Amino acid sequence: MSTTIPYDLAELNAALQESLFSGKVHFLPETGSTNTLAMQAATAGVEEGTVIFTDQQTAGRGRNGHNWHSEPGAAILVSIVLRPKILPTQSLWLSLMAGVAMHDAILRTCGIACDLRWPNDLLIERKKVCGVLTEISADAEQLRFAVIGIGVNVNQPSFPGEIAGFATSLQMETGKQWSRTELLAAMLKSLETQYRGALTTEGEQALLCRVESISSYVRGKRVHVDEAGGYDGVTDGLDARGFLRVRTAESMRTVLSGGVRES
Amino acid sequence: MNQKELRELIEFLIEKDIAEFELERGDVKVRVKRGVLVAATAMPLHTAAPLAPLSPSGVPAEPLMESPGAGKTSASADEGLHVVKSPIVGTFYESPSPGSPPFVKPGDKVEAGQVLCIIEAMKLMNEIEADLGGEIVKRLVNNGQPVEYGQPLFSIRPH
Repeated sequence: MSTTIPYDLAELNAALQESLFSGKVHFLPETGSTNTLAMQAATAGVEEGTVIFTDQQTAGRGRNGHNWHSEPGAAILVSIVLRPKILPTQSLWLSLMAGVAMHDAILRTCGIACDLRWPNDLLIERKKVCGVLTEISADAEQLRFAVIGIGVNVNQPSFPGEIAGFATSLQMETGKQWSRTELLAAMLKSLETQYRGALTTEGEQALLCRVESISSYVRGKRVHVDEAGGYDGVTDGLDARGFLRVRTAESMRTVLSGGVRES
Repeated sequence: MNQKELRELIEFLIEKDIAEFELERGDVKVRVKRGVLVAATAMPLHTAAPLAPLSPSGVPAEPLMESPGAGKTSASADEGLHVVKSPIVGTFYESPSPGSPPFVKPGDKVEAGQVLCIIEAMKLMNEIEADLGGEIVKRLVNNGQPVEYGQPLFSIRPH
């Protein structure tokens, strides 16, 4: 068992002063899923920048019902409520910018340049260290709110057999424990920076370039796509909306959902 | 939109197995329904005519209303039905996770705000809600199918 360093809430609040999240962070020792809670809170009307984080999720969710492995106190498990005044179609930029923001925060805090697996998984040596799941509430004309859920494996000393092959933690990669308080503060600040910049035409272009520059998956990677019955091909850049293009033997295809794996 | 773009669009719709598609941009309006092709209410006629060979079934394009095979739902039966459309491009999921029961099925009574399905794109989940109460008449796309912006997902007979 690992000894875990608890969050220092005073330090976190101090670090977030004058940010979008100042005075809006809420810690729970345990919860089912921070995303579920944040979606409920957002529906009830909490303001933009509300942050919910926990030491332990009992029903954490990933894409396709995948559970995010959660050892108490080892990971950062956080959900953030945003209320940008944008069209639902523009909300996809939130998904892309979240991955870039986490990449930058981990680089700045731990000195590790993760690989970004489209659209927003972060990998170290092909093993996942950070995942993002975004949920939105929208009608046809307008986004009501978005909840960005982020899980980072920080201080896990190891992973059980069935996921050891594709998951890693910052501690496993560096041999030392990291302050979750410091990293969470960096993640939120980085997210705010990306968020402020992303939702303009210039910001969208810059974001596409950033994704491409930090990801080995965007171009020339042989992948299996778990979509539309499953197919294989070689990645061939992002389209103007940020979707991944994959060239197969027959045609050029566009990946809409996640589920891209190196093959 | 020129003819080449239109051709590419239609080829894309065929490749993605998209049953129905509507696009409005400026004074150009395109509506495609698989098997039958209806084009260009406001487009110049000379672009509409050569579209016939593109029809995936090989049947020449003809106005939807005149097609004998345009479905069992007559215009009068469709009257008063409310159509829920997708606000984003993505993949349609009928249930919250694989293997779990669908959010709704035809015949179900739904309330305004009730979740009907999820559209996913780039690991972003959009729970689509009923914008009014009523009875689900039809689900218009299949589980796991890609959908375009504005594509009809469900028809609902309002209370």
